[in-house]
Formats: sequence, structure tokens, C-alpha cells
Amino acid sequence: MQFKDYYEVLGVPRDATAEAIKKAYRGLARKHHPDVSKAPDAEARMKEVNEAYAVLSDAERRAAFDQLLARGARAGQDFQPPPGWDSGFEFSGSGFSDAEAAGYSDFFAELFGRMGGAHARPGHRAGGAEFRARGEDHHAAIQLDIEDAFRGARRQVTLRAPQVDAQGRVTLAERTLDVQIPKGVREGQMIRLAGQGSPGFGGGPAGDLFLEVRFNPHGRFAVRGRDLAVELPVAPWEAALGAAVPVAMPDGRTLNVRVPAGAQSGGSLRVRGQGLPGDPPGDLELTLRVVLPGAASPRAKELYETMARELAFDPRARAGA
Amino acid sequence: MREHDLLVAALLDDDGLALEDFSRACAVEAEWVASRVREGLLPVAGDAPEAWRFTSVHVRRARAMRRIERDFDAAPELAALVADLIEEIEALRARLR
Repeated sequence: MQFKDYYEVLGVPRDATAEAIKKAYRGLARKHHPDVSKAPDAEARMKEVNEAYAVLSDAERRAAFDQLLARGARAGQDFQPPPGWDSGFEFSGSGFSDAEAAGYSDFFAELFGRMGGAHARPGHRAGGAEFRARGEDHHAAIQLDIEDAFRGARRQVTLRAPQVDAQGRVTLAERTLDVQIPKGVREGQMIRLAGQGSPGFGGGPAGDLFLEVRFNPHGRFAVRGRDLAVELPVAPWEAALGAAVPVAMPDGRTLNVRVPAGAQSGGSLRVRGQGLPGDPPGDLELTLRVVLPGAASPRAKELYETMARELAFDPRARAGA
Repeated sequence: MREHDLLVAALLDDDGLALEDFSRACAVEAEWVASRVREGLLPVAGDAPEAWRFTSVHVRRARAMRRIERDFDAAPELAALVADLIEEIEALRARLR
């Protein structure tokens, strides 16, 4: 286990006042907060910052931690807490909840996990009191394709979670779950897998696992809630005269969509019930884009010249350009 | 081996979560949830807590509110306001995709 210097994590000197520690923490929280930052490691950084703050903002834990530094412990060094290192300190134990502490590092769990009762990991429990608790719920994200919403999907999900072995050591264990995703899932929806969270303590039931659905970007379709949006290219005569136009759907079907006569580029059509499946299903939103044929051949050129001569059309007349 | 069993997933929004399960999923106390529902910061249908059913949207919102309250020492009203803004930005970003 590596020693962590919580002062370095927050970027404050060892003799920083409580006010300075709070200020440094607030600054880092604004920078790394996963609800604000788009950096891929924001969540991990925020966890580290929270952990450092949980120690340095608490006078008891800070004093105990300072004592380790005074004994020469340094960041990055291999570290085992000396026996009885925390004797002489009293820990009142509040300040972080079970669920928060569970997200902190092994280093934190080893040092502070045993202090203050209910949040202790099973291997670190002081005394031998009966202790029975339900395991924590876990959250993770799952990436799906839009096609999966139509058909349902089978996905393997690999999760890393801390586990406590028979000696009370905390290790990260990897496990793979084979999950059948029902059809009709939408972006942002959560899937609940009962009993797949943390194991319970002392015979308590296991927690649940929640998977939040995210869709991979699709080459053609965009998802808006239950609705699917797609651009529909049409020829000028299809737009002007009206036509039944085929639209290839993500599930392999082809829909024939009626484009009304007089449609314009940028206009939109809505096909009820042809978005993502569900109860009720979403709609399909089509944005028309009129694509002009080139005038490279003499015949095409002639047709354009005929239109120019005979249609008396000024596209800028209405726009006032 | 449970690792190799095929798990059939349930969509949370089919039935929604009752108060106790919801609180646990968000790692907060039931009273934390109840007070925010009463203050209108976490809108859910129904008057009696037994009737409340929470969905994916609630889980995401409550977890964000809890993080913001804790990490910024923010009042619940402020955390809810930030959650409103985050939801709006996400909706606008989704329209751009």
C-alpha cells in the first residue's frame, strides 16, 4: 500500500489553517466536480480530493495523520501503519457516510476505516459486536447502440469493486456480468440488477447494481428522449410533387414515408410511433434536405435552363434579399 | 458461478423505486429525500411518502444534489438550482448531437 500525502492532494502546506484547507478544497471541487468537469478522470480526481478533505477537515483525523508524517512517512512510499499508531486519539467517527467511505482508497480504509463504528469495513471492526447490514448499491454506466433499443441486447459488463478477504485485507476484484437488456431502453434510463451490488455484512442481503444507459453516437440517427431524429435527403421533384420515400430504420426495416407536395428543404415531418419502442413508442422526426442533381451533362443543363426560363422563380423574393 | 449466469435486467422506470429503495440507491437517508420532496426540490407525484415512486431521472438528480450539497457545502435550494441548470444544459447538448 502506498502512502498518500493528503496535503499534496489539496496543494496546501502542512501548517495550513482550517480556513485555507477549506478554500483549497472548494477551488479543487469547482475544477474537478464530475457534474461540471468534462474531463474523463474528473470523478477519480474528485474522489481523491474528497478523501483528502475528509481527513484534513477533521481535527482528530488530521492530528493522527500529522503524526504519521512526523514519523517520516512520505507520498509514494510503501506503507503499513505502525502498530498502535493511532493510540491516544479519540475518533468521534462522524463526517463521512458508509457509502462515501466505500469509494475512498484502500489507504484511507486501512487508516480510518476502523475508527468510529458503523462505517468500518468488516475486517476492521473493533470489538466483536453483532453487525448485520445490507450491502451498498453500486452505480455504473453501460454503452449501448440505438439498434439495441429495438432488439434488446446481451452485454457483458465488467466491474471493479473492493472486496475484503478472510484476513480483512481490501483488494480490488474484477467480475463480469452477462446482462440481458430489455428492448425499449432509452438514454439516461437505469437498469436495476437486484443483488449485484456489494455483498451484505453479517448475513445481510447484497445491494443492487444500477446501470445507466448511454447510447453510442449513431452515423445517421440522433436520439431525443423516445424520439429518433434523422435527415431525409430528397430530390427536387420529390419535394415539389410529393412522393413516397423509403427510410432505412436502425432495426433493418424500411419505412415508406409520404413527403407532401410543396415540401421545402429544412422542413420537418413527424411519423408517430416510429421512434424508439416503448409504451407509448416515440416518434420519428425527419428533417428534409433537398439535394440538387448536378448540371454536368448537356441534358441536365438543358432542363435547368428550361426551368429558369419558364418558372419565373425568385428564391429571394420572399426573404426580401 | 453467478458470473456466468445470464442476468435479466429490469428497467427501473417500469415500476419506479419506493422511498426506501430510492434512498439507498442515492446513498442518503429517507428523511433527506422526504424534506427535499416537501420543499419542491425533488418533484414527485403523490402526497403520502408511501405513494412516491422515483424514476431514473430522480436517481440522477438526487445523486447530483447530494454531491453538490456535500462537496460545496451548498444549501439544498442551491444544489437543486445547480441540478436544474445541469439538466437544462444536458437537454440542449442532446439537441445538438
